[in-house]
Amino acid sequence: MAKLSLRVNGQVKEIDVDPKMPLLWSLRDFMGLTGTKFGCGIAQCGACTVHLDGNPVRSCVLPSSVAVGKEITTIEGLSKNNDHPVQLAWIAEQVPQCGYCQSGQIMSAVALLKKYPNPTDTEIDTAMSSVLCRCGTYPRIRKAIKKASKM
Amino acid sequence: METISRRKFIQLSSLAGTYLVVGFGTDASGSKLIARSTTDISKIELNQFISIGTDGSIILLNHRPEMGQGTFQSIPMILAEELEVRMDQISIQQSEANAKLFGNQMVVGSRSIQTEFEKLRKMGAAAREMLKQAAANRWKISISECTATNGTVVNKSGTVLTYGNLVVEAGTLSPPENPPLKSSKEFKILGKSSARMDIPLKTNGAAIFGIDVIVPGMLYASVERSPLFLGKVKSFNKEEVLKVPGVKHVLQTERQVYGHTREGVAVLADNYWNALQGRKVLKVDWDNQKLAEVSNKTILADSYEAAKTDGDELFGKGDVKKVFTSSTNIIEATYETPYQAHVPMEPMNAIVSIGEKEAEFWGSTQNPNGIRSYISKKYNLPEDAVKINYTFMGGGFGRRSMTDVAEEAADLSKKSGVPVKVMWTREDDQTQGPFRACSLNVCRAVLDKGMVIALEHKVIAQEIQNQTGSDMKAGRQLMGGINTDFLIPNLSVKGVLRKRHVPISYWRAVYHSTNPFAHECFIDELAIKAGKDPLQFRLEMLDHPRYRSVLQRVAEKTNWNAPKKKGVGRGVAAVERSGAYFAMVVEVKQEGKGIVPFKITTVIDLGICINPDTVRAQTEGSIVMALGAVYAGLTVKGGAIVEQNFNTYPLLKINQCPEIETHILDSEAPPDGAGEAGLPTVAPALANAIFDLTGKRIRKLPIDMNSIV
Repeated sequence: MAKLSLRVNGQVKEIDVDPKMPLLWSLRDFMGLTGTKFGCGIAQCGACTVHLDGNPVRSCVLPSSVAVGKEITTIEGLSKNNDHPVQLAWIAEQVPQCGYCQSGQIMSAVALLKKYPNPTDTEIDTAMSSVLCRCGTYPRIRKAIKKASKM
Repeated sequence: METISRRKFIQLSSLAGTYLVVGFGTDASGSKLIARSTTDISKIELNQFISIGTDGSIILLNHRPEMGQGTFQSIPMILAEELEVRMDQISIQQSEANAKLFGNQMVVGSRSIQTEFEKLRKMGAAAREMLKQAAANRWKISISECTATNGTVVNKSGTVLTYGNLVVEAGTLSPPENPPLKSSKEFKILGKSSARMDIPLKTNGAAIFGIDVIVPGMLYASVERSPLFLGKVKSFNKEEVLKVPGVKHVLQTERQVYGHTREGVAVLADNYWNALQGRKVLKVDWDNQKLAEVSNKTILADSYEAAKTDGDELFGKGDVKKVFTSSTNIIEATYETPYQAHVPMEPMNAIVSIGEKEAEFWGSTQNPNGIRSYISKKYNLPEDAVKINYTFMGGGFGRRSMTDVAEEAADLSKKSGVPVKVMWTREDDQTQGPFRACSLNVCRAVLDKGMVIALEHKVIAQEIQNQTGSDMKAGRQLMGGINTDFLIPNLSVKGVLRKRHVPISYWRAVYHSTNPFAHECFIDELAIKAGKDPLQFRLEMLDHPRYRSVLQRVAEKTNWNAPKKKGVGRGVAAVERSGAYFAMVVEVKQEGKGIVPFKITTVIDLGICINPDTVRAQTEGSIVMALGAVYAGLTVKGGAIVEQNFNTYPLLKINQCPEIETHILDSEAPPDGAGEAGLPTVAPALANAIFDLTGKRIRKLPIDMNSIV
């Protein structure tokens, strides 16, 4: 066990945990930030995607201690009023079905648009192919990313 | 979500008066009234689905769990339509689990709209009529002179009263038993796409799924189960596991899976990570009997052996045997499908607290009533003492219709004395199942002058409701998705039941996810043998108007009758599922070494369509899930499932998703189910398209798209 100081969504939080415990569980079980989801535990599905200094990472395999000193952004910190362009586009295109993977989808899409403000179909497919959706919202994810890129 | 208090069945004191709260029960007559009273006058229940506040706020209850299928929106849409309120005037709340008030709340088989449509319309209409009557009484005129619209009642002179203004009086009236229902031409809400109110909760992390729930004082449990399913616990290293930091208990547990008792050893800890660390240390010695001898190879060999037997006839007309005996040219083909896992993105989980006098469940379930009655019976508690808090589900696909995970949590709560949250890992989910059944399909037919004169389809598979015991008679469930509407004079569907230790369960579309692969591919093979166009061939054999209209429309939408495009293969299939008729054309082309489907065009006739955008979403989802199951399957080896996680059992990815076009036919027929209709046609239409492009018949799933040519 170790005391870790993590900066999440602009706020510093102190937790006393096994430093090897993945960041996912620090967020969910110790900070109550349950918007970030557990899907596979081996960085294969992307449901746990958060931003570390602006870059998408898989929090299910990232030891909590690695996030110390970095700016962590979760879905809860993306916007105050659910009005980030990607969130607005997601609602406009009615993307989510069950909704479980969508935090990971949205965080990945935000990172993609930062890198490619006007992504091509291939750039969208390549960047998003590591985030799985069992409900099959892919056609709408493509449309929503295009829509967000124009907002 | 704030919920309306529903347990205040107390005698009322003076000033509030007694408000009769009524609703339709769900007995056989379909219209039994249940009377209750409430003290809550700020929000008055006109029936168990509809509450209106004196401030005009309108709360409609959704009584069906939401797993992505969109009935969270569609059910209130039906209520609002008859209630004569706009969707922007309402808020939606999830109902409690209570079969007496709401009927069966289980979400399976794409049934929520089909079975609830009439009941919900009556609920909305009855409340509307009560509000109109209240206005008529106030104005001292006949109800026939009152019109309800946009949450108000208007009379002929144009005077308007709002529902909020009327609800107190309306609440004192008896509900009409047979309120007039609108004709489908009068619909203002139904049939038009309505933005789902649960969606904004799913873009900012606010939606609560079972896995997100934390109950004070609860322990987290991770359970080791025999990879060979039926293994019995001989011993485990309890003392060693108890030394792991945070671990509080190591307990043997069990759950029921379709008649089998399945054992496990649970590690209970103060947080999930610690429970996982404990489980890493845990070593269980299993008595796995001789199950390790079972593999894909032995299962397939058993199926082919069983195929030699007659089996049980599940459907028959004419005399297939007679035609086969006299024919010298029987066409035969066999088709194989593998086990599939459900893998909802939210791994299985449940929290249960078993107390002396009451119990509570929190979690994502397709079957809230089932969990309530299980806990009630098992722990000898009245149903009223069992509270079910069901959340949004992170996918279900049939897996969450079972109560097994709640059974584990209940057992562990009883044994440990605290609330217990059982969380499965992805590996648990994928290797424990229960799975979509694997199957062997043997199809035989005789053609005469380009027409099918006899066809036999034999399904060799396990059956969900008959997995134990010695009864080997095949049931009708096995014939799901086989089209007996084909005008084939001699037609027989047979089932040969197998029992295996690998457990199976309902998986989206169930046997419609396997049988049509064989059936609709075989029809295609027969069309080619008959020298006919596969789509025309189907039309020649179908006089069913709904089959014909979806096939004809998909032909139009894909220019089926235009000259074939070079380098493009096309395949068609049509299947009825949950009452909805569905036709699909898949177009494929070669890309590098592989073949890819690049466009899927679908036509669905599902009767009255409630929310078209949801039907399109369900179609897209069904296609994505079905394509995933075309490309990947599970392998049994050493009695266990080989593929542990997404790295070896990949779901379909966005870059593999073709363009999907969905057309919904106009209809005034009662609504059918849309949640699975798009799934059955994918494998056969794709395999038929591959044949069209390459001349190669695919009769086995999964398909390696890179090794066809």
